[in-house]
Amino acid sequence: MSTGEEGHMEMADRGSRKRRVGVKKGTKAARNKKLKSKPSSSDRFKVTMKNQKLFQKRARDYNSDEEEEEDESKKQPEVTIREKIFSDANMGPNYEEIEEEDGEDNDENSDGEDHGEIESGITKFATDGCNAFKIAFKAIMKKTKGDDTLGPVLSAHKHLIGEKLAEEEAEKKAKGQARKAKHLIAEKGHVKPESYLDSHEKILIGVATKGVVKLFNAVNKAQHAQKGLNPSRSKDAKVLKKRRKEAFFSELGKTKTDPKAQKSEEEAPAWAPLRDNYMLANPKLKDWDKNQETKEGDDFAAMSGDESYED
Amino acid sequence: MGRFKNNKKSRVIVKPIPKKNQEDVSHVTGDKIPKSFVFSRMKLPGPVKQLQMDLRKLMLPYTALSLKEKKRNTLRDFLNVSGPMGVTHFLMLSKTASSLSLRVARTPQGPTLTFKIHQYSLASDIAQSQLRPRCPQDLFKSPPLIVLSGFGSQELHLKLATIMFQNIFPAIDINTVKLSTCQRLVLLNYNKDTKLIDFRHYSIRLQPVGVSRRIRKFVQNHQVPDLRNLQDVSDFVTKAGYGSESEGDEEAATVTLSSDLGRVNKGSTKSAVKLQEIGPRMTMQLVKVEEGLCTGGIIFSEYENVDGKKEKLKKKQDEEGAEEEEEDSEEEDEEGSEEDGEDMDEDFED
Repeated sequence: MSTGEEGHMEMADRGSRKRRVGVKKGTKAARNKKLKSKPSSSDRFKVTMKNQKLFQKRARDYNSDEEEEEDESKKQPEVTIREKIFSDANMGPNYEEIEEEDGEDNDENSDGEDHGEIESGITKFATDGCNAFKIAFKAIMKKTKGDDTLGPVLSAHKHLIGEKLAEEEAEKKAKGQARKAKHLIAEKGHVKPESYLDSHEKILIGVATKGVVKLFNAVNKAQHAQKGLNPSRSKDAKVLKKRRKEAFFSELGKTKTDPKAQKSEEEAPAWAPLRDNYMLANPKLKDWDKNQETKEGDDFAAMSGDESYED
Repeated sequence: MGRFKNNKKSRVIVKPIPKKNQEDVSHVTGDKIPKSFVFSRMKLPGPVKQLQMDLRKLMLPYTALSLKEKKRNTLRDFLNVSGPMGVTHFLMLSKTASSLSLRVARTPQGPTLTFKIHQYSLASDIAQSQLRPRCPQDLFKSPPLIVLSGFGSQELHLKLATIMFQNIFPAIDINTVKLSTCQRLVLLNYNKDTKLIDFRHYSIRLQPVGVSRRIRKFVQNHQVPDLRNLQDVSDFVTKAGYGSESEGDEEAATVTLSSDLGRVNKGSTKSAVKLQEIGPRMTMQLVKVEEGLCTGGIIFSEYENVDGKKEKLKKKQDEEGAEEEEEDSEEEDEEGSEEDGEDMDEDFED
């Protein structure tokens, strides 16, 4: 017998200790005794009709006393479960021993009073419980373990467990499906691009490239004139202003950009020449816009920088 | 001591960036810099949330990158904040079981364009699909260029979309702009047949033309080249190596630079423009245009036929013959976005 088993025995004792105080000393000796006096227990603890009432009354008392009752009810199943596990662990028939021990304890208890009415009632009540336990336990032990997929402990409720497992599985499945649906909704429209460039993308890149080239060329043209000048310096800024104006008019292609004309422009009120050019420029630019539209199938509506020719 | 000095220096360098963000008017063009919020007022699923983050990155630098929205935040809250912050555009993502949609709105009082996103790919997806995804450090430090293609000016709602997207990024003054700041490009391509808009985001790279690949790499990489197989150093330069196969179609994509750009692209040399996609990628459809900020009369709707819209459609069909007149009348018709209309006019005049 291992030490663990010993401890377990202790537990079994403790379960019923409240009723029999000071018995503990005797347990070891009793156990030894028990081993010898095996077959006596079953017929000795019969419940007579006379005692039945008393038992019931006792039971009622126990029920009313909540603490104790709870204690009992808690400890009893614990013991049984342990017992089962235990017996399963080393297939041993030691359950007999345990039950015998219980019986012997009761015996001892009753020994002192020599079957006094009340005292014996208590013991008999206890042994009756023990008897029921014994029957149940034997019933469990008689059963074969079976396929042991669900484990030996709750083998009696195999179908129940199976149902429960199936239910769980179904639940899991439903949950998984819900999650999947949610994920699908979340991912809707999300497309992983191909690693190669398909024709559509190439066309788009071509369009974009055209736009960039257009802008860069425009920038180039505009900035070519002002090379070597720093726009933050006021002196250069003035020169730049002039040059820009020049470039602007040359772009329009209408005014001659000789210095005299420029001077006259500067002397004249700023509005008149501007308005002239404006009038000239407007239809021209519009035409330019349309030409482009007809020339290319897709027109560049806007490079956001294209439109700011003003100074 | 030296360390301290360095720290101070770095701090001085760092400082101007928030300052720059704070000013509403760009010192170059004098225009108001458009700023944007990208947010959503509901709990988004993972990939859509990522898409929102990608959109925020796309809208950099004039956007709130780490904008936190709460469940109880209403549109009014964002609107209240937008005034003092100088935020001019809202991009709102919303996800229902059936569809994903993006709303683009001007802040104070609309209009609002609602796009249904049919397909999208995240920046990470695109980076994964590429052999060598490219992300230089200062890629997101300057606003992207925008290229709109296929938006004819005939249809009113498309015109409105054009204006909206033109104004969502700061305007460029071609006299002062530095080409080194043109790093990214947003392309919106409208397909007339399917009515779908392709939304793409590219990075722009310039490569010198007529230089062998070997030498280009040598200049770029700072690495000692492998000369084991060569008889003489001159072979390294003279041996052409294999040319790139895309060399042929580069003719259309070359520009002449006026100034130096980076280490490789020198001024007054030819450079090829190369675009590489950086996400996100979206295929969307304009489904609704509202007058106000997510409220107000419906100017255009793809599915439901609003009465006013119906009339307009009829009108349009009648006028289809005379396009020039129609343009004018459309401009007059436009009620919800007067400002934008004016902007558009300016654009055409210049």
